Amino acid sequence: MFEADLYNQGHLLYRERFKEFLSKEIIPFYDQWEKEGIIPKAAWKKMGAKGYLCPWLEKQYGGAGLGLEYSFILTEEMAYAGVHGLMAGLHSDIVAPYIYSFGNNEQKKRWLPGCVSGDIILAVAMTEPDAGSDLSSIRTTAEREGESYIINGEKVYISNALLSNLIVVACKTASENGSPYRNISLICVEEDSPGFSRGRNLEKTGWHSQDTGELVFRDCQVPESNRLGEEGKGFYFMMEKLQQERLVSAIMSQASAEGAFQMTLDYFRKRRNHSEISGEMSAEASTMVAIATDIELGRSFLNSLIRDHLKGRDIIKNVSIAKWWTSDMANRIISQCMELYGDYGYLEDHRVARLFRDARAHPIYAGTNEIMKRIIARTLGL
Amino acid sequence: MNLPLTTEQRDIQKAAREFAMGEFDPEAALEYDKDQQFPKGIWKKACELGFIGAQYPECYGGQGCGVLENALIVEAFCRQDSGIGIALALSDFGSELIVRHGKEDQKKRILPAATNGDSLITLALLEEGYSRAPLATTAVKTSRDYTINGTKFFVTLGSMASTMIVVCQTNADEPHAQTVIVLERYLHGMEISSMGEKLGMRMIPVDQVSFSNVKVPLEHAVGKENNGYSLLQDFFHEVRIETSAMGVGIAQGGVDRALEYSRKREQFGKPIISFEVIRNKLADMYLETEMARCMTYQAAQSFDTGKPDSRTILVATIIASRTAYRATYEAVQIHGGYGYMTEGQIEHFYRDAKALNLFLETEQMQRNMLADQIAGIGLI
Repeated sequence: MFEADLYNQGHLLYRERFKEFLSKEIIPFYDQWEKEGIIPKAAWKKMGAKGYLCPWLEKQYGGAGLGLEYSFILTEEMAYAGVHGLMAGLHSDIVAPYIYSFGNNEQKKRWLPGCVSGDIILAVAMTEPDAGSDLSSIRTTAEREGESYIINGEKVYISNALLSNLIVVACKTASENGSPYRNISLICVEEDSPGFSRGRNLEKTGWHSQDTGELVFRDCQVPESNRLGEEGKGFYFMMEKLQQERLVSAIMSQASAEGAFQMTLDYFRKRRNHSEISGEMSAEASTMVAIATDIELGRSFLNSLIRDHLKGRDIIKNVSIAKWWTSDMANRIISQCMELYGDYGYLEDHRVARLFRDARAHPIYAGTNEIMKRIIARTLGL
Repeated sequence: MNLPLTTEQRDIQKAAREFAMGEFDPEAALEYDKDQQFPKGIWKKACELGFIGAQYPECYGGQGCGVLENALIVEAFCRQDSGIGIALALSDFGSELIVRHGKEDQKKRILPAATNGDSLITLALLEEGYSRAPLATTAVKTSRDYTINGTKFFVTLGSMASTMIVVCQTNADEPHAQTVIVLERYLHGMEISSMGEKLGMRMIPVDQVSFSNVKVPLEHAVGKENNGYSLLQDFFHEVRIETSAMGVGIAQGGVDRALEYSRKREQFGKPIISFEVIRNKLADMYLETEMARCMTYQAAQSFDTGKPDSRTILVATIIASRTAYRATYEAVQIHGGYGYMTEGQIEHFYRDAKALNLFLETEQMQRNMLADQIAGIGLI
C-alpha cells in the first residue's frame, strides 16, 4: 500500500523491523493503555532505546541521522495498526523540530539527546480557552524579569499534557497592542519550573491512551535562555512548523483509513469463502471499491506531498488540502467500514470502533479543516 | 416548519419537550453514559407521565395514541439527550408485538407493567450476522410446552428486562416458520452475559442470551404459531419509525447545540456564527433535519392510517439515520476541540448517532429492501 518508489530497500527493512517491534512491544499492551488512559513512560523509553524517537536527528544529538521519511514510516505504521496514542509523531516530527530549527547550540545539546532516548517527552502548547482557530489571539504572557521570563496563562487540549517533560509554549512577549505576528515568542518550559502545573487528563471521544489536558502557568519562572530563536518571531516559527504538523496529521489519517480498509477487506474475503460467490458484484463490494478508490487517490497525493516536503518545496497549499481531505476521508471510510461489520463493529472490543472514535479528532486539531480551507482559498487568491 | 399536526399532537410534543428539558439533567446524562447505566429514575418519571407506551390502547395502560405521537415523544427526548432518549425509547422494546398480536391476558399482564414503570421489555431476535430466516434458535413443541435452544445476540437490557420476547424457528424446513414466544421471568436454562461496552447507546446495555432446553408453556406464544416472521415484518415498520424519530431528535439536538455554541464562541473578534462557512454548515444541518422530520412524520402517519407505506418508512429511517450522523459530525466540528471532549454536551450525540444505521439492521440492508420495493420484487 505504501508506494514503493518513495522508499528504497532500506526503508522497507526499517518498516518491517518497526512492525515487528510494534507487534511485540506496543500492540499487545495497547488495549490496556487505552483503558488506563495513559501510555507508560517505559514504552516511550523502549521506542527511544530502539532509535524510534527522532531518528532524523544527527548523531551528535544521539539520533540515527536518518531522513525524515524514516520518521514518517513510524507514524504510518502506528496509525495503520491503530496504536497512535503513543504520539511519537508529535514528539519527533512536530515538537522536536522547533528545538532543532530555532534552538541554539546549547539548547539543542541540552534537550535533543533526551528527546532521542525518551527521557524527555515533548509537547507544544498553542491552544487556549479563547484561542483555537484564531492563534494570533493567545493571551498567555511571558514578561521579562531580569534573566527570566514570568509566564502567566492557560493552555488547553494539549497532547502529551501529562507525560511531557519539556513544553514549547507560545507566549505573548510584548504586552502593548502590537501586532500578534510580532509579539509571540516560543519559550521552553521544563516540567519542574516553579509556577507550572498540569490539569487533569481530559476524557475524549477517542485517543483514550493519549493524554490530553490543560497546562497552567502562574508566575511560572523560566530562564530567558529557554526561549527558542528571536523574541517576537514565534508566530512565524509556528506557521512554518505547522506545515509539517499538518503533514503528520494527514499521514495518520491516511494510514488509519488504510488500516481500517485492509482489516475490512480481509474480513470480507474470509466471509466470502464461506458463502457462495455469485459472480455478481454486491453492493457491499461496490462500497469497498469506493473505499479503495478514495484510499488510492489519497495515497498518491500524500506520497507526492511527502516527496515535495522532503525536497524542501513549499507545501502550504497542498498540505492544507491533504490535511482536510484525508481526515474527512478517513472518517467517511471508517464509518463505512463499521457499517460493513454491522452491530459487532459498534462494540468497543472491535478495533473498528476504536478507529472510528480516534478518527474524529483529525479534522479538528492542527488547524481545523475550516482553517485549512481558508488557507487554501488564500493561496488561490480568493 | 408548519407540519400538519393536530392540536393534541402539538400538546404531546410540547409536554415531552418540557419534560425532557426539566428532567434530563445534562451532567447526570454524562454520568449515565460513562457508567453505562440505564436512567431508571427518569424512566420511572416518564412512565408516571404516560410517555412510555403512549401508543398502547388505554385499557392496557397506554394513552391510545398513534405511532406518530410516540415518534414525537421519542424525538423530543432524543433532542434533549441522545442517550436518555434512546434508553427510554428502548425500555419497552418489542412490546409492539404484544400490543398488535398478543393474547388478551398477555396484554393485560405485560403492557401496564411497562407503562407504569414496573418492568422493562426486550426483544431477543438477532443472531449472528443479522440473519432472520431461518433462525438458529429453535423452539420444539411438545404437548405442553416449547423447548427453546439457541443463542441471541444484542439483546437490549437483557439482564434487566423482566419480559423477554424471543423469536424462534419452529419448523426447520420452512425458513419463515417462526414463532414469537414471550418469557415473563428468568427461566431455568437461560444464561445472560454482557456483550461488553459499546461506542454509544451506552445507557442500554446489550447482552448475549443463550437458551439451553428452556421450557415455556405453549400459551406463551404470541400470535399464531409459525407466523412469527410475518408479525416481525409489521413490527419492523414500527421499529423503523421509532428509529427515524430518534434520528430526527438526535440531529435536532446537534443543530441546537451547534447554534448555541456558535453564537457564544468568539474567534477572530466575533462570534463564529457570523462566519459564512459556519452559517452554511448550520443551514445544511437544519435543512437535512427538516427533511428527515417530514419523512418521519409522513411515515408515522401512514402507519396510523392503517396502511403502513413501507417505502416511505424505509426512506424515513435511512434519511433520519444518515442525518443524525451527519448533523452530529458537523456539530462536533463546529465545537472544535471542545466537541471531542466527553465533558461537552455534543460528544455523546455523535457516538449515539452512529448506532442508528447499525442496530437491528444496516443501511445497506434497508437500501436492498427499498430497492426490492421500488423494483416491485418481493415483499417486505
